[in-house]
Amino acid sequence: MQPQPVTANVPLFETINVSKAFGGFKALSDISFSVRADEFVSIVGPNGAGKTTLVNVVTGLLRPTSGEVRFLGRDISGVGPVELARLGMSRAFQLVNIFPALTVRETLAVAIASRLRRASNPFRSLKRDGVLQADAERVADVLGLRSKLDKVASTLSQGEKKLLDIASAFALNPAVILLDEPTSGVSTADKHVIMEVLVEAARAAGIRAIVQVEHDMDLVERYSHRIVALQGGSLLADMAPRAFFADPAMIAAVVGTRAKL
Amino acid sequence: MTELLDVILGGTFHAAVLFLVAAGLQLVFGVQKIVNLACGSFYALGAYFGITAVGAAIKLGMPPALFLPLLVVAGLLVGLVGLPIERVLRTVYRRDESYQLLITFGFLLMFQDTFRYLWGATPRTMDNVYLAYGTAHFLGIRVPTYNLLVIAASLAIAAILGLFLERTRTGRIVRATAENRDMAEGLGVNASKVFALVFTVGCMLGTVGGALVVPSSAASLDMAVDLVVESFAVVVIGGLGSMRGALVGALIVGLMRALAISLMPEMEMLSVYLVVVAVLILRPAGLFGKAAV
Amino acid sequence: MSHSSIEIAPPATLRRTMSLNGIGVLLALIVVMALLPFVASPYVLLLMLPFVGYGIALLGFNLLFGTTGLLSFGHALFLGVGAYTAAVFTSKLSILSFEIILVVSALLSGLIALLIGALCVRYTKIFFGMLTLAFGMLFHSFLYKFYAVTGGDQGMRVLRPLLLGMEWRGGKTAFLTGPFYYYTLVLFAGMGLAMWRITQSPFGLHLRAIRENAGKAAYVGVEIFRMRLSAFVISAIYGGIGGVILAVTTGLADPELAYWTHSGNLVFMAVLGGSGTFAGPAIGALAFVMLQDFVMAITQYWRFVMGGILVLLVVFMPRGLAGTVELLLSRRGREA
Repeated sequence: MQPQPVTANVPLFETINVSKAFGGFKALSDISFSVRADEFVSIVGPNGAGKTTLVNVVTGLLRPTSGEVRFLGRDISGVGPVELARLGMSRAFQLVNIFPALTVRETLAVAIASRLRRASNPFRSLKRDGVLQADAERVADVLGLRSKLDKVASTLSQGEKKLLDIASAFALNPAVILLDEPTSGVSTADKHVIMEVLVEAARAAGIRAIVQVEHDMDLVERYSHRIVALQGGSLLADMAPRAFFADPAMIAAVVGTRAKL
Repeated sequence: MTELLDVILGGTFHAAVLFLVAAGLQLVFGVQKIVNLACGSFYALGAYFGITAVGAAIKLGMPPALFLPLLVVAGLLVGLVGLPIERVLRTVYRRDESYQLLITFGFLLMFQDTFRYLWGATPRTMDNVYLAYGTAHFLGIRVPTYNLLVIAASLAIAAILGLFLERTRTGRIVRATAENRDMAEGLGVNASKVFALVFTVGCMLGTVGGALVVPSSAASLDMAVDLVVESFAVVVIGGLGSMRGALVGALIVGLMRALAISLMPEMEMLSVYLVVVAVLILRPAGLFGKAAV
Repeated sequence: MSHSSIEIAPPATLRRTMSLNGIGVLLALIVVMALLPFVASPYVLLLMLPFVGYGIALLGFNLLFGTTGLLSFGHALFLGVGAYTAAVFTSKLSILSFEIILVVSALLSGLIALLIGALCVRYTKIFFGMLTLAFGMLFHSFLYKFYAVTGGDQGMRVLRPLLLGMEWRGGKTAFLTGPFYYYTLVLFAGMGLAMWRITQSPFGLHLRAIRENAGKAAYVGVEIFRMRLSAFVISAIYGGIGGVILAVTTGLADPELAYWTHSGNLVFMAVLGGSGTFAGPAIGALAFVMLQDFVMAITQYWRFVMGGILVLLVVFMPRGLAGTVELLLSRRGREA
């Protein structure tokens, strides 16, 4: 499956009336939204609103009970992580997810080797693969990890590990990248640094859209083009930050609904 | 028809013993997430020790009717060997599972030679116990009373185990530790003691099983490994971590083996291996288990 | 999970030199062995031959265990396949060409691995270990019980093969310590080089990624099932060839080759030498062969001793001999 070219009119991905039920429990009800090129979309909502489920459905990990998920016009329900990566969407996780004993360079090389289909021939050389190595350096550069290329992943700081996790998602040259709370576990001072690095890196890497699940409303307000708010599995809002933050009911629903529950 | 009943009862007898071992495995796995590759060695240990115990009892003139309880007691006693072994296993609890497999494999090797040293390389049998209990009429056929008693004993042990886990305070603590070790420790539970207890009980179930089975079959060096595969089959069929699964799985394996023995003896162990493969293909999680690892 | 890889993987500072060390150590070892016939007695040389057989099998085993993180307890199955192939070809089919036997063993082992692996590699850790144990014992059962085909517990004879089409007309010891010795060393070197290439390739990197964090690996596009299965098949091929060498050395293919303790020995050798290094397992094979020879001479309860050593190894020295040496060297390197 070759990734289709990105055109301005076709949404990069969209969900069409997606619902997901686990037995009797309805996690998602009739969610429709789309993401177009050059957008930064934040998915927000209180705990239990269905954010993670939505991301799992959108990334093909779960099949929707009803409705469709389309990536560049193609149905991707339940494709699974490997195929997803091939299609041009990659994902970074909330909890730091690394290869502890591999170096930064090797970690990036894993993703690049998948992308370039290098793993089918067991006798190729890894070190002498100029294209692959150059690409690894490029991605490391873009995320500020150049100086750490030969460090073993487990010896990195928490923030660096986060960046590495995101970098390996970048290394797949995706059209869309999904970030699950990219700044969680990072100190407030570093949060903005990471976001700046992220946005700039995405631009430099040619990523067309970023979707993030995020709790920190300051970051959401500052960086998003659009906010998709979920509550109790339903779509509460899909609007620009200015409109969203102008509406106190919206803020209360997303941030302060615990009292109501 | 009588042949079929014979096979069924024979299979149930074997299942009763197998259940004890499988229950031990499930208990240890459920609480400690450890798979004891040496579980078969405990079974064999119980068998060999049972023979020694009965031999000594005969010399001391003990009435044969007491042989069954004696075997149970012998099994329980020798199961205490689990305590020092658990102590060593502690070093690899938090490490990757490969290490558990490696260590318990090392124990397996050590046990093999221990058996060879203490009891010799040829299989040992115990003939008098069956004679002591005679036969009974059951469902129209003659059946060794011993077999029926063992089935009853096994069910009793299962019940006691179940009650212990569900109704007693210690049992609740054990279950809590199984669910979440760190949280249990946070609530003041001494997880190390719980683990030691659980592991030892698990071993005892194995040794008692071995002790009970030995009157009907021989104690041999091959027992230890054959049993690892058999109990694995039980766990696969029943589902990892489920006591109910251990019961049903044991029944299925026991009956299957009995069938194989009566129809085509060379296929005895082969049939067990084949069932394992079949179940894994058709229903990987087992009948009562959660998703396979 | 992350703990294990840190313990068995090479320390960071030594990584650059590792790329020379791995294959370099192995080749150096082979060169030393090539010079042995000038100084050592035939007894020692005969002891070296099983080491070569095991060494090759272990190169394959460690691709599965050290690199991909899958611990198989039934790997001796493939040793058995190789051995019995040699037996059937030489004594039943009168095909004595060593090259043909090697190729057929490789193909057969690979095919069996493809079938078994398709089931086994879907599972990890415990289930994989026990599944492979079950298959190994299944094969052993088959070899043991089907007397008419396999010779049962008597085994099947393996006649002297033709090396490169040439027949050796001398004595058995002279054959084994002469032309066969050098042939297998060349084979060892060649297969070692091939395995080195494999581990240093993107394919090898993907395998390591699977070992480190299979979940994440999938998300960066690693085809987990396919990679694991490939590793399984390659390791089986190496096992089959190792088995051929063992069988020709002893002149007999017997069911005990597939027994679980034999699989366990392979695991032991890998851990003893150090599964986190390239040459470690081969060193472990050498150490094991010599250790077992030594222990067997002292006591008949060598299994007890070996079992005890394994337990001590896992508790105190999980990196094995080569791995620990490497760790010590890297520490010295950092202080220097």
